[in-house]
Amino acid sequence: MRRIFQIGGEETECWLAHDGSRFVLNTPEGVLPCRLDPTTSPGGFVLRARGLVRDVRLAAGPEATFVHMDGRTYEVGRVDPAERLAGSDGGASDDRLVAPMPGVVVSVAVKPGDIVAAGQPLLVIESMKLETTLAAPRDGVVAEIPFAAGDSFGLKDVLAQLAPEED
Amino acid sequence: MTISKLLVANRGEIAARVLRTAKARGLETAVLRHASEQEGPAHVIADEVVTIDGPTPVAAYLDIPQIVEVAKRIGADAVHPGYGFLSENAGFVAALEKAGVTFVGPTSDVIDLMGDKVRARAFVEERGFPVAPSAIEDDGPATFIERARAVGYPLLIKPSAGGGGKGMRVVRADAALEAEIEAARREGKRYFGDGRLFVERYIERPRHIEVQVMGDGKGNVVHFWERECSIQRRFQKIIEETPSPALSPEQRLDICETAAGIARAVNYRGAGTVEFIYAQDGAFYFLEMNTRLQVEHPVTEMVTGFDLVAEQLRIAAGEGLSAAQADIPQTGHSIELRICAEDATADFRPSIGNILLLDEPRGEGVRVDSGILDGGKVTTDFDPMLSKLIVHGSDRAQAIARARHAVQNYVILGVTTNTGYLDAILAHPDFASGDVSTGFLAEQADALTAPGENVDDLLMAVAALSDERLVAEVMQISDMHRKMGGWRN
Repeated sequence: MRRIFQIGGEETECWLAHDGSRFVLNTPEGVLPCRLDPTTSPGGFVLRARGLVRDVRLAAGPEATFVHMDGRTYEVGRVDPAERLAGSDGGASDDRLVAPMPGVVVSVAVKPGDIVAAGQPLLVIESMKLETTLAAPRDGVVAEIPFAAGDSFGLKDVLAQLAPEED
Repeated sequence: MTISKLLVANRGEIAARVLRTAKARGLETAVLRHASEQEGPAHVIADEVVTIDGPTPVAAYLDIPQIVEVAKRIGADAVHPGYGFLSENAGFVAALEKAGVTFVGPTSDVIDLMGDKVRARAFVEERGFPVAPSAIEDDGPATFIERARAVGYPLLIKPSAGGGGKGMRVVRADAALEAEIEAARREGKRYFGDGRLFVERYIERPRHIEVQVMGDGKGNVVHFWERECSIQRRFQKIIEETPSPALSPEQRLDICETAAGIARAVNYRGAGTVEFIYAQDGAFYFLEMNTRLQVEHPVTEMVTGFDLVAEQLRIAAGEGLSAAQADIPQTGHSIELRICAEDATADFRPSIGNILLLDEPRGEGVRVDSGILDGGKVTTDFDPMLSKLIVHGSDRAQAIARARHAVQNYVILGVTTNTGYLDAILAHPDFASGDVSTGFLAEQADALTAPGENVDDLLMAVAALSDERLVAEVMQISDMHRKMGGWRN
């Protein structure tokens, strides 16, 4: 069965199979016979793979599996291959400014309908106690500024959207 | 005055920590909780949990009339403010006083004085204690920029009413000065409602060394030795330790006695911390005084054996200090790591999520002051600090080894934390040798966030084999093949 895993922003496609006596994970790097047996600790397992034996603790969230192994914690994103085929979300990426982290809008310099030039400041945000000026990624017309000064926003919220470029 | 019922006007790990000591002293206890807030350890420990309202959870914890009303309604005769929120708010102290409720902390005039960096600095300088070269806007706003230039570059701009690194900016070239002053002024206005600024000479490769003091308000002040807090990201501490590896015994006495002298000069009452900038040449300058219990107070408790919250409660109850200076030892070495829900590889972006699995480290010399429970939810409503891991060892090397072992075995799954990053700092040779400054994390950013050994294949095997649906599907296919092929195991 095929799965796509995401580790540190990189996606890898794998294929898990069972050859009748053991599990085998086929990765782009090669074939990895592996097994995972529970221990008595909460979320505890022993992983045997690549000739290694590793104690791991794990917990599966809705979109990622969290793994504690050898004193480090990792997040393994699980991408549904079917969802991947459904494709993109519409708007071109340079039409919108997306919040790099949660924060608060300090000031807004433009309004919908304004014509802006690449590099022109659109709004000032404050996250983690630092002010950042967000500038227009290209020449264009402001379509939407969803937040006003003083509003809080979350990670990946759209902070400004330019009208699509006309061909 | 005696205290029989204590309201802790705070949340998270510090509320839990204060409540433990209060209960051990036989006090009745109560703590606050905003309606939207997850249950935390403090709510489990307190005898009484009082729900507070506010447009945001933070606003509720800053609502003076509401909290004073709660204290009166539940019959609390004292309020412990923890750190942050209203802990250094003179208005809160005055409101409690009016309501006849004891504030566990200093008097409002001392909070006022030390809360204003400019006045505090002038006060300290006038009494002959060391401060860095500076220019203060209020001394003549028209000539401020000119006087700032005269201080010389690099310089540091700070809001007069500031704290915690908010609005602070380093300026290295004259061309950037005016723009940075305006940016700092905006931040100062927003955070503190006060746009006044001052600048001081930026000390290159400084260390942050602070001293824990405690006064009875009757002229007696003792110090509980120093803490070094040079490991900072964005001007915020994430690792603190005591003793400081930078100080000789003579320098240690000098800086600790200077701090006690400053506290004595204001007839200090309660727990406080005098912070200094320590230059590479051994000179040190007064930075500010925090008139509250600090986040990093546990390292002091680990080497002195004193419970600082118990001391605070004694003083608030009029019982005075429990020890004279000669009775306060500094034994072994202690390190604190601040466990934060943030991604150190993405500019310390705060992370959110549900805590799916929590397993705290245990062992000799290990203490965990935690604000989270297994199954809890981490939001961006509050500071990203989840808990503090504190260790004690007979010397610094043992403390580092214990800290590394403990942080490696601190299992928090479901939300990205900085445990791996903290371990990387502890493993760095410059940290081991004590050769650090407040710029250490920025200078070593690449080394500290470098990916470790590539174990992606192992991680994918874990993720695949722990996916019950995937395993069931694979077994079904395997079974089918076996039947088709007529195999038998």
